Amino acid sequence: MKILVLVKNVPEVAEAELEIDQGALDLEDLEMVVNEWDNYAVEEAVRITEASGGEVHLMTLGNEDDEDVLRRGLAMGAHAASHLCDEAFDGSDPATLARVIAAAVKDGGYDLILTGVQSADLGQASTGVLLAQELGLPHATMAIALEPGAGEVVVTRELENNTSEKVALPLPALVTVQSGINQPRYVSIMGIRKVRKMTIEQIEADDLGLAEESLGAAASMVDSQSLALPPMGEGAQMLEGGLDSVCDQAAAILREKGGLA
Amino acid sequence: MNPLRTPFWGVEWAWLFYLLAALALAALALGLWEKISLWAQGRRAAPVASHKHPLGAILADVFLGRRIWRGEASAGLMHLMLLWGFLGLFIGTCAVAVDHYLVSFLQGKIYLWFSAGLEVCGLLLVMGLLLALTRRWLLPVSRLERRPDDTLLPLWLLAVACGGFMVEAARLAASRPPWEDWSFVGYGLSGFFPSAQAARELFPWLWWAHAIISLGFIAWLPWSKLAHAIAAPASLYLQGQPLAVLAVAAEEGDLAALGLRHLLHLDACTRCGRCVEVCPAAQAGEPFSPRDLLRRARRQARLKYSPLYRLPWLRGRRQALLERDRAADWEVAWYCTTCRACLEVCPVQAAPIEMIRKLRAGLVEQGSTVPPQLMDVLEKLHRYGNPWLAKKGAKAGWAQGRDIPDLRKSGPEVDWLYFVGCTTSIDTRAQGMARALSDVFTHCGVSFGTLGKKEPCCGDIARRLGEQGLMEEQIEATQALLNKQGLTRIICTSPHCLDTIKKVHPLFTEEGLPLQVLHYSQMLHRLWQQGRLFFDHPLPLKVTYHDPCFLARHNRLVDEPRQLLRAIPGLELVEMADHGLNSLCCGGGGGRMWHEIPGQANLAVRRLEQAAATGAELVVTACPLCLIMLEDARKTGGFEDKFAIIDLSELAARALGLAATDREAETNP
Ligand code: SF4
Ligand code: SF4
Repeated sequence: MKILVLVKNVPEVAEAELEIDQGALDLEDLEMVVNEWDNYAVEEAVRITEASGGEVHLMTLGNEDDEDVLRRGLAMGAHAASHLCDEAFDGSDPATLARVIAAAVKDGGYDLILTGVQSADLGQASTGVLLAQELGLPHATMAIALEPGAGEVVVTRELENNTSEKVALPLPALVTVQSGINQPRYVSIMGIRKVRKMTIEQIEADDLGLAEESLGAAASMVDSQSLALPPMGEGAQMLEGGLDSVCDQAAAILREKGGLA
Repeated sequence: MNPLRTPFWGVEWAWLFYLLAALALAALALGLWEKISLWAQGRRAAPVASHKHPLGAILADVFLGRRIWRGEASAGLMHLMLLWGFLGLFIGTCAVAVDHYLVSFLQGKIYLWFSAGLEVCGLLLVMGLLLALTRRWLLPVSRLERRPDDTLLPLWLLAVACGGFMVEAARLAASRPPWEDWSFVGYGLSGFFPSAQAARELFPWLWWAHAIISLGFIAWLPWSKLAHAIAAPASLYLQGQPLAVLAVAAEEGDLAALGLRHLLHLDACTRCGRCVEVCPAAQAGEPFSPRDLLRRARRQARLKYSPLYRLPWLRGRRQALLERDRAADWEVAWYCTTCRACLEVCPVQAAPIEMIRKLRAGLVEQGSTVPPQLMDVLEKLHRYGNPWLAKKGAKAGWAQGRDIPDLRKSGPEVDWLYFVGCTTSIDTRAQGMARALSDVFTHCGVSFGTLGKKEPCCGDIARRLGEQGLMEEQIEATQALLNKQGLTRIICTSPHCLDTIKKVHPLFTEEGLPLQVLHYSQMLHRLWQQGRLFFDHPLPLKVTYHDPCFLARHNRLVDEPRQLLRAIPGLELVEMADHGLNSLCCGGGGGRMWHEIPGQANLAVRRLEQAAATGAELVVTACPLCLIMLEDARKTGGFEDKFAIIDLSELAARALGLAATDREAETNP
């Protein structure tokens, strides 16, 4: 089975102090890491090929530094990687990105395309589905289990309230992968060093035969106007003290405001 | 008549004996060849230097079994009797062969003394064997296992020794030579034969039985745990070898590429169980035993590298066993706290700390069995240079309000670099150590600076967790910074940083700056000796001192902290049951600070039970990890109203009357 996984390099923000600089996130003190959902997707793809053969290809769209995310995936066991890297792509909205990626993917002969459910930075959760649309492939989102079989893949999708459903898609298909589908492996520094010499295919706008007008902000329907940190709300009240005391205080407030019967 | 020995006296079919002997020797040779070929592969993987330990000490360890006596005289006595009994008989047998086939010299007085000597050796052997069996079966020496070969081997050897005496007794009873009383044991036994005739008739039977049992033993020798007779001396000879910097590629795989020293360890181990007895994880009831790990490693090494397992019909079995062992190793790889207690007591210096590191390196490289908590720690270390926070530049929070030069920027216009370390600079409890130390240094007029909010990680955690590549990167980055700023004299808060910077960093620095690396307790001790540190605030407290493993065992620093404590007026120091080089680990080393193993016992609670037994009102330690582990255990183990936990640095600040750092007030009794 030939599997393509789309991956993205994103800033890790969980514990960081964020600063906005001229309408954009100040990346100075932030670490770029593989998008969490994509990491699960790569692991899933590698496991499938480890179990039943095949090849895993990776693809990312981003600037030069984002090559790291491909190296990391190669170290996990992917077989090849492509890097869509061109200033012309800057400012694209998900639909435009999907068109670019579709142009790069369409002749690849992939049986299965995996992406993360969403990216940790913009969180639009739409590039994957739009790509399926561009390629005319059946798709399923929020996969928490994949069972590839002959000519099809059975996908368990996570639904609301602890329910799930199983769908069978004929191959080729596109699936977006939810976190927790597996336990991704650790990628050691040695592992990354070992794949340092593998060549990564570089793809620019020209290679895809796309006209400049169909790329970037100009071609996009959605544009980012400004970025701001959510203001600290008036009503926020910080509870101080040990765990028990915080719980007691919280319960008291809930009771007082009528939140507890 | 000239006393002499008559070989094959009264025995026919000597050819059969030669045939059996040839077979036994072939088995012996095959066993030895297998081992030697394994060791040779190890030597190619990692060459070793000649002995680094004083030769006299090595010889005493080998021929007197000094390390075996320690803590258990009956074990020492048993081994001494077995060793010299066996060795004497071995030399005797060789002498007989030389006498028979080369030059005849066993005649007259020499022969008589020779006979008497062999009697003594035989007796020693029998007594040693009886003591061994008693210890294993009648005395409750709980560390000893009772596996089939643990019993069969001494019984077999006992049969060899007793058989020898019986053969001799029969010969003496049948022929009654005038010098018979020189062979005093055989002579004593010869009385049991009713007549010379009966002895003469029984003799061939006894002789053949003895011959067959002895030859069987020879054949079994290299395949049994008696192989330690060769491997243990070799292992002792190679102790104290410098850490080898193996190209990481050579460490690939699980227990592969072990190197000669570690392969010798595998055969040197006699499964005596001393390591299990002191291992904090094993003793807390966790499903881990250093002895079992070593045993498995031995089997794996054989399966992988032994020429015998290349034989086609053993291959299938080989694969199955390898898979099984690998799964077992995954499960136990993360229990070890690298406390070094096992190595301290191992009679043959074989206990498996280094091997565990290699095992971890294999698992980290392979990736999919690394526990998620440790993955998270390694990723934080890689991205943010600390195991605690996903945040850069978070290492100077403790220093707020203190004016300490940042040596990343200004270079060496101070005498000392104070290397604070990840945990001390970030963990709120341990930060008290940094504050106390910087105040004490300032008070004593020590000129020092730190590496500020972006102090690099020294690489210790990556090393202990087997992340070789990350360790290398961190060490190189740290060394590059130190070189650039010309910093050569370092004081560490953590014994873990001390150990790594002192022992491992030099292997990675080409410039080779003359590093002087001290633990802060050494520095305080120096200041005290120079009269620059004078404790003028009496602390009338009963305290006990918990030796951090990396200070005591790994770096042999046990007296300095104690002398400092005794220098505090009014303070009374009492010792816990396990202290000094025998200290009991708090459970925070080897990455376990960041790894909660499901259902794990709290090792630190066991330590605090010992502390409670001393009646001390304060438990002092000298390591940020110990401090945190003990502090947590104090809360979870119900010791809160018994005693407080404090670091030596904080106690020193108090004994100097320095403004109590914020945290101290909270922990004072
Ligand atoms: S490693 Fe050492 S202490 Fe442990 S069982 Fe083997 S010989 Fe004994
Ligand atoms: S170093 Fe300590 S924890 Fe590890 S095996 Fe040895 S005794 Fe056990």
